[in-house]
Amino acid sequence: MTTDFSQAFAGADAFGAFWGDFLKRMASGGIPAPAAPPSPDVLAQIRRAFFDSMSQHADQFMRSEPFLAAMKQAMEHSLALQQATNDMIRKGLSAAQIPSRADADHITLLVRGVEERLMDRLERLSTRLDRMESGRPARAGGADNGKPAARRAGARRKSAK
Amino acid sequence: MSTTGTTFGFSTPDQALSAWQDLLRKSLALPKVVEAAQTVRVGCTPSRQVYREDKLRLLRYETDAPQRYKTPLLVIFALVNRPYILDLRPGKSVVSHFLSSGFNTYNVDWGVPEGGDRFLSLEDYVTRYIDHVVDHIREETGSEKVNILGYCMGGTLTAMYAALNPDKVNAFVALAAPFDWSKKESLLQTWTDERYFNVDRMLEVYGNAPPQWLQTSFLMLKPVQNLMEKYVGFYENMHDEKFLEDFFAMETWLNDNIPVAGETFRQFVKYCFQQNLLVQGKLHIGNRRVDLKRITCPVLNLIARSDHLVPPSQSLPLNDAVGSRDKKAIEFPAGHIGMAVGSKAHRDLWPQTCTWLGERSEKLRG
Repeated sequence: MTTDFSQAFAGADAFGAFWGDFLKRMASGGIPAPAAPPSPDVLAQIRRAFFDSMSQHADQFMRSEPFLAAMKQAMEHSLALQQATNDMIRKGLSAAQIPSRADADHITLLVRGVEERLMDRLERLSTRLDRMESGRPARAGGADNGKPAARRAGARRKSAK
Repeated sequence: MSTTGTTFGFSTPDQALSAWQDLLRKSLALPKVVEAAQTVRVGCTPSRQVYREDKLRLLRYETDAPQRYKTPLLVIFALVNRPYILDLRPGKSVVSHFLSSGFNTYNVDWGVPEGGDRFLSLEDYVTRYIDHVVDHIREETGSEKVNILGYCMGGTLTAMYAALNPDKVNAFVALAAPFDWSKKESLLQTWTDERYFNVDRMLEVYGNAPPQWLQTSFLMLKPVQNLMEKYVGFYENMHDEKFLEDFFAMETWLNDNIPVAGETFRQFVKYCFQQNLLVQGKLHIGNRRVDLKRITCPVLNLIARSDHLVPPSQSLPLNDAVGSRDKKAIEFPAGHIGMAVGSKAHRDLWPQTCTWLGERSEKLRG
């Protein structure tokens, strides 16, 4: 029976490459296998090479298909779990006749819709008034003075310092 | 006791003694570490709130330095962290450079979005919040135009704003800001690829982009640096009080992630990261197209050469995309955060930036 370890562990190649790279850096730096404990400078150099090599391979690994697929799967599971928790909480709140986040979101959306319609309407009126005051004919429904409605909508929300 | 010619694993008794002294010094520093962690202070320049809208606060920095320029400076930071990184500590404050150069300086604190803010979109931030802040500053200072410095995502928002309101922006300084996502260079961009990241699903579940999720993502961009090297460096320098103060100030900021309003996050990921609409002139904010060619004010593009979050390839294209004749790009040897807090940046980059901006701002008479 033969076992293909590279199949069994997708990160095996990256792991091997990291140590290969690390040893290569050590050799190219002229750092021999220590007969006696190395000096702090040499230790710092070894550490630097170790971290650099590890960083490089971590970056490569986090761009690899196996990692990205695993990340996607982990996120899907995490979201599914969170969704189930949200649903459970919403049902509980609903049973207790307490508003849930979904209810608050719904109200927020309604208020935003009302606000946008109201401010657009006010803007159209304001534009018409401006044109009437300046003696120009008002265009029916014309509201474009080059400024977005949202900008003016926000003016109402300003509060004092 | 010796083992194969060494003393407890050290070559000489001196080495062993030195290591012992070092360990002792670090042990004695522990109370200082605890104290530094408990008394950490961020945001060194006094400021006053001059405007408020929803959760947004506009801060004006107070200074004794004489004001030299009538044109004020507005700093716009990203939506993912708190803006005090630009005024972190004495000696590490970008804001203080501008104040001492004579600029009336403002900073936008976006506040912390909550559940009800999930529907805030790019349109709200660009055409409402930023525009109102700019209008307020123009009114308060009597200056027709405002200089804007946008950091990271704040730079992208500023570019959108300047393209829609070129008449209100005097000069635009982009600091480590992304504009072009065509080159899939950054790890963040790989992770946000639509094949692997379903932003709609995430926001459906969470509402806003959760801060812990953002923080983990940023941390994992440089796992070796953030989870190992940083703490090795900390151990080596923990006896240094100045180092401890800087370290904990930085940690406070790094751990101070805030949620990003859901709709804004969705639009930014889809339109920028995934579809790269901004630099192609295809992005629409509300019903208006954002055409970067409409930016005609002087532009200074500050690019961090070693930026892992916003690589230079995402920042550089701004200079070709804008319609300005007066434009300059500076590639500085620093990382994304190093541009704001690095000592080299404070020595070389920011004085140069203040000079550049001063030459393009209206001077105060008298």
